[in-house]
Amino acid sequence: MQSASLLQRGLHTTSVVHRIQAGRYKRTPRREKPLTYEMAWPPQAIGHFKSWNSWNTTNLVGGLRASETAIEDEFVRRFMTGTWHNLFVSEIIIKRQHNMIRIAGILRRAISAQKMYFLIGYTEELLSYWLQCPIKLELQTVNDKKDVIFKYV
Amino acid sequence: MLHLNRSLDVCNKVLYQQLTKLRFISTTACIFTNGPSTGSKNEQSFNDDDEFRVLDLKRIQQKQPFQRRPMRPKAVVPPPRTQKMAEDQVWSDVWPGPRTFHPAVVPLPVRQGRNRHGPSPDKFGNAELMKIPNFLHLTPPAIKKHCDALKKFCTPWPAGLETDEKCEQHFPIDVITTDYCHSSPTIRDPLARIVTMRFKLGRLPMDRHSRDKFLRLVRDRHDVDTDTVTIVTDRCPLKTQNYQYAHYLLTALFHESWNFEEWEKEKLETDMEYYDWDLNPSKSKVVKIVKAIDPSVDEENLPEEWKSKVDNYREALTQLFNKGENTDTLQNYKDASLKLLF
Repeated sequence: MQSASLLQRGLHTTSVVHRIQAGRYKRTPRREKPLTYEMAWPPQAIGHFKSWNSWNTTNLVGGLRASETAIEDEFVRRFMTGTWHNLFVSEIIIKRQHNMIRIAGILRRAISAQKMYFLIGYTEELLSYWLQCPIKLELQTVNDKKDVIFKYV
Repeated sequence: MLHLNRSLDVCNKVLYQQLTKLRFISTTACIFTNGPSTGSKNEQSFNDDDEFRVLDLKRIQQKQPFQRRPMRPKAVVPPPRTQKMAEDQVWSDVWPGPRTFHPAVVPLPVRQGRNRHGPSPDKFGNAELMKIPNFLHLTPPAIKKHCDALKKFCTPWPAGLETDEKCEQHFPIDVITTDYCHSSPTIRDPLARIVTMRFKLGRLPMDRHSRDKFLRLVRDRHDVDTDTVTIVTDRCPLKTQNYQYAHYLLTALFHESWNFEEWEKEKLETDMEYYDWDLNPSKSKVVKIVKAIDPSVDEENLPEEWKSKVDNYREALTQLFNKGENTDTLQNYKDASLKLLF
């Protein structure tokens, strides 16, 4: 009885804070903030209206190398954003099949085709050396940033 | 103190000399740099008047009017390849292997995405289409091509193994192993080491004793309904080792069950795996009943009338204990008992 009253006194409750911020974009007064399709849907829409940016088997039952794969994906994302500076207009999609890693995404046509070819070879060579896997860059280009805008908030 | 002061003086002197040197050098340098670049008339007149020259760092004198750098011509982007494609092209040549979706290569008006206020996004600049796996390289004609290419490596099915029964007869042992395909740089999986071996117990040459001993050794690894023994080995790190260990277990079990140890003679009636009428008190009671009904019969050599009744009763009771109680065995037991008694 005594312990019950102690427990009761020790428990503090506050009202629930329903503030969820991640993956959501605040609307602007004039509705001028551009969003891509990926940005337009909140995280709970993954698997319904939009799909994953990393595709691999680590999170299936009995999957291996979950942590290593996550770290490698993050490394690849950072390397890509740095190497293709200010060129990606979509998220970087990393798909793994067996030991093959496919990196996909949408680019702006801001640099010449020659530079783009060089960067493709450079990225594939360096990443395959670091990750010890064959890497394939499968990119799509758009004329302008506006071509991937889904809506304005 | 004195000594220190003197040394300080020496220091100052040296510093001064160095400074003047430096100044001299810097002034000459100024002249060199300014001389050829700003050789205007004004400067000449300043020099003539023995005035200090004005260092024109910002070059206000010869400032050019601002000119916009000419625009680089924009790269000409050809229209999507899909517009030039022939209708009767071979699709497996265009898309030979697995690849991320590309809108300029796939001549289909596909769309993906959900839009509450209009049509869903089309294929150009659509990242959703690039995420999902596609099977554009596995069209039926492409699969047919693959099969045709692989056909020359195939061999005919061995003669004499046409049916499942024949296969089972020639290959009585089933070995089940599993290979795992992960999306990772390694092909190793610890679960791939497990080996399952299955065989029918009836295929092993055994007598009543060795079969009983085998069953006691394998315990619940024997399935009574299908008469199948399943041995799973996973204690060794490699698949081959587990495979060999499973075969070793089979050999060891077989030979051990054929061994008859001295202590096996101590088997009591409670240790029996089946109901044996001859060893049970039921037999002595039946003999007693038969004697009570007809005291003249010899229990060792029963007459034909009694023998059939007793045999019938024995069979019914054995079935009842060994097969379990059900309508048939109970009915048989009842009939046999009635026949024996009345």
